[in-house]
Amino acid sequence: MKNGEIRIRDAGVSYRLYREKVSTLKEAVVNRFRHLRSAEVFWALRHVSLDIQAGEAIALVGHNGSGKSTLLKTIAGVLDPSEGEVLVQGRISPMIELGAGFDPELSGRDNIFLNGALLGFSRKQMEGKFDRIVAFSELADFIDMPIKNYSSGMYARLGFAIAQDVEPDVLIVDEVLAVGDERFQEKCKARIRDFRATGVTFCFVSHSSEAAKELCPRAAVLHHGRLAFDGPIEQGWERYRELERGPTPGPQIEAG
Amino acid sequence: MTEMAESTPAAALPPARRSAVGEILNYRQLVAMLVVRELKVRYKRSVLGMLWTMLNPLLLMVVYTVVFATIMRSPQRNFAIFLLSGLLPWLFFSTAVLQGLTSILTNQELIRKVRVPQAVFPLSVVGSNLVNFALSLVPLLVLMAALRQRFTPALLFIPAGVFILAVFTSGVTLLFSTFTVFFRDVRHLTEVLLQMLLYLSPVFYDLQLLGQRSEWWFRAFRLFLRLNPLSYLLPLLRDPVYYGRLPSLPVVGIASLEAALMLAIGFVVFHRLAPRHIHYL
Repeated sequence: MKNGEIRIRDAGVSYRLYREKVSTLKEAVVNRFRHLRSAEVFWALRHVSLDIQAGEAIALVGHNGSGKSTLLKTIAGVLDPSEGEVLVQGRISPMIELGAGFDPELSGRDNIFLNGALLGFSRKQMEGKFDRIVAFSELADFIDMPIKNYSSGMYARLGFAIAQDVEPDVLIVDEVLAVGDERFQEKCKARIRDFRATGVTFCFVSHSSEAAKELCPRAAVLHHGRLAFDGPIEQGWERYRELERGPTPGPQIEAG
Repeated sequence: MTEMAESTPAAALPPARRSAVGEILNYRQLVAMLVVRELKVRYKRSVLGMLWTMLNPLLLMVVYTVVFATIMRSPQRNFAIFLLSGLLPWLFFSTAVLQGLTSILTNQELIRKVRVPQAVFPLSVVGSNLVNFALSLVPLLVLMAALRQRFTPALLFIPAGVFILAVFTSGVTLLFSTFTVFFRDVRHLTEVLLQMLLYLSPVFYDLQLLGQRSEWWFRAFRLFLRLNPLSYLLPLLRDPVYYGRLPSLPVVGIASLEAALMLAIGFVVFHRLAPRHIHYL
């Protein structure tokens, strides 16, 4: 496999749905652990196969609860698939949400280093990146301020500034371009296009058709955890609209 | 090109490629940073800041010294030193375990979103408490000087003793933090058990001070003390600090063995259960 390649084979992620929520030992003992046997299995994602080549840009499209976030989490390695396999070659910028690792009490400066460490970079490596990150975020004046005082736009800017500087082979972006002002959004898009040019694989989740069409030639449409379409973005978006309008069958629940 | 190679993070390689232990080692800088974060946030906005870690045990010591030495007239010489040499390691152990067992829950936002070996969270709690523990030994030494306690070369054993205790504490914390994810009441249970364990461990007393009695409950108590892992860990500090001697070889051996075993058990169980955490958070 080449760096940046993603191979998903018949992947499925199941959650157990308990009729009764058991989270204390007493309840478990009183029920003689019956809840473990009576749980229903809910497949948030099932029988999904996708091959994403290195350097490709793909938009994951689907209604809320269609499984696109679950799929993204398995690609990022946050969640292990319950069946099938998800193989990702190379370095992932494993941020499901920009700024996920931020601590509001710490300054922007401390958070850059903390976030870098979460991504597996040493302090020394982050020192080399620090100035570029601050410059990209345009937050030099606020960098020593606790980020709980940041606006949500500033928060996202710092998050994107870090994610764009970790030299990923796979970049995962989930709905973040909706935050920040238009000018900064354009800057982010330009940066993403740069990445694309250098062969970085790009996975994008968006509800905005313009942003998706602009950045991704390919779309995978998810519907109730199944892959409903995989192909060019224009047709993909059509399919998504169609599915959204049409009658939707209930979620797949199978006795486990 | 050389710059690219240098900035390659070993930790961001695909998940299954490296061993679990290697992964934690790759993230040791993250653990260090989380420790610093914890200390920074804890002492934020307080005028004295980190001084509190030393002031806190110092004030505690003053209270104990006054109570035991003057009011209660304890028969032990320098009873305050005797007490603190057991109480400070106990406080490290119990605070780290209690704080650490909720660390997966308190960091769940992160665990849901960023791929990171989850063991870094309980381990960083042990780390920040270790810093506090080490700092609290400074006022202890001051008090020893003030009360004219003997300073012997055995004191050089303290870092080794602290290390063994920290290894043991890490194992317990890893184990309990993963259990807490599945059963939230592990926390309340542990609170009660630690309260009981404090009196069933040689903190306020010593094995030598107990003497011999023939009642069945006393023999049961002694048997429990012999099986209690802390009976071998606490002397690692008390022996050099209070008695001015090195802990005996069997004690050091048993303590090291149980620390290594505890860490291995804690790590293996944690590693097995960690992928399932996200379903229970």
